[in-house]
Amino acid sequence: MECRKFQENTLLFLYGEISPELRAAMEQHQKECPACSAKLEEAHRFHEWLRKGSGQEPPPELLAACRRELSSAIDRELEKVTWRGLLRDFFAGFSAVPATRAAGLVTLLVLGFSLGWTLRPVAKQSVPQSPAGVSSFDAADLANLHINGISQVQPDPATGGVKITMDAEKRVTLQGSLDNPRIRGVLIDALKSYQNPGIRHDTLDALRGAGDDPTVRSALLYALAHDPNTGLRLEALDSLRDAGWNSEIEQGVIQAVRNDRNPGVRVEAVNVLTRHATPSILPVLNHLASDDPNPYVRMKCIDAVQRLKGDGN
Amino acid sequence: MTADGTCLELAGKVPVESAPLAGEDEEALIRQAQAGDRIAFDALVRAYDRKVLWLILRIVGSAEIGRDLYQEAFLKVFRTLPGFRFQSSFSTWLYRVVVNICLDHLRKASTRAEVQPAGPDGEEEHFQNLPDSRAETNPERALESQEISSRLKAALRQLNPRERVVFELKHYEGLRLRAIGEICGTTEETVKNCLFRATQKLRLALSDLR
Repeated sequence: MECRKFQENTLLFLYGEISPELRAAMEQHQKECPACSAKLEEAHRFHEWLRKGSGQEPPPELLAACRRELSSAIDRELEKVTWRGLLRDFFAGFSAVPATRAAGLVTLLVLGFSLGWTLRPVAKQSVPQSPAGVSSFDAADLANLHINGISQVQPDPATGGVKITMDAEKRVTLQGSLDNPRIRGVLIDALKSYQNPGIRHDTLDALRGAGDDPTVRSALLYALAHDPNTGLRLEALDSLRDAGWNSEIEQGVIQAVRNDRNPGVRVEAVNVLTRHATPSILPVLNHLASDDPNPYVRMKCIDAVQRLKGDGN
Repeated sequence: MTADGTCLELAGKVPVESAPLAGEDEEALIRQAQAGDRIAFDALVRAYDRKVLWLILRIVGSAEIGRDLYQEAFLKVFRTLPGFRFQSSFSTWLYRVVVNICLDHLRKASTRAEVQPAGPDGEEEHFQNLPDSRAETNPERALESQEISSRLKAALRQLNPRERVVFELKHYEGLRLRAIGEICGTTEETVKNCLFRATQKLRLALSDLR
């Protein structure tokens, strides 16, 4: 082999990207040519040196944050998809009916809309214009009223007025410290029962740092066990991690490791357990190391067991 | 072997952290994820996301941007996974998504001339916070490692986006040239030339340090 060919292929030799025949020829040449051998050695050193300049893993807290954000982004994505699906199904329904029926449906829609539009001024005129005509509420209250449903509308031809019976809620604002049991109670209720995940997220944020309070702790454990949103279960876990560790929290986290349907939550729960290592968690981790359906979770459990055993030695 | 003998036996059955899953496991997970199984999708993400995030961070150099690109990449995977037809390996397909997103970002950034001159304030922010297990017990080595890291990042900035991506995929990810070609949508020969140019530039830029 010529030195020129050897040097042309040095880089590929180092990366193992040459054929076995060429590798054998180069190894033979390396033995025979001290100059080429020195160049190869130098190139090898440079490669090793380049490796020194790079770490090996991303910071774990950054990875955890990325995972949490991705989980929330996917939840939002799924909500969007559901709405799109509903609209698509609705319009797809039209394409499934024969043309004459579709035309009939459209005609009915147009007629309904026209009728509504024609009657609109009449309805408007029948509403008393004066706030004094609103009997049950002060006019200013109406702006804060959230109407859930109207059960009855009774026009009164004698007076030209109308009586509306409805289910309504009034919006109020509570402000104060987390020490206020009433505020804490409202937040705990919201965390346990409010449908909107955004509100539950803000509630978890507000409760962060109050995990030492038994009622808050119990709400956080409830969220960890039952919240349908993966990101929020992870946040609840985060808050519990920072609360005063006790057997109640340990049991809650162990339940999450065993039962949470999301492997990401299970992995974070293993991390939290490992951080507050007690001998009682070893059997749980050992069991999951063999039985968890997710290979990554199994691996984390194996790793945790080994570390805990190492700490014990 | 551990006291109960269980762990080491199991350790052989599970994949190394962030390494691709075994073929059958992976294919089953992909099919479940394609059918809308969120848990399967999460498991797929967990199998790759450490390596993906690390690659993104090394390519773009900023934790903040890396966070955005991580999300962009996996959201794209989430949206387009139903269209994955197993014509390439999942990891190649995934890396293609990630690399395209990184290349887009680098191109836009170099057009806006925002990222390249950022230097110590922006581009190296995450590298300064990285733990280096090899250096942590030895202050001299820690300093040396910091110096090397800082110089290497500066040298990497001299590569164009494609050279940078090819170098990262080859040198740090250890991918085959052919796989890199598939990921970057080019030929093995072009990748080879790109790698030669990148290495030459790095040798030149770092000649005084070795």
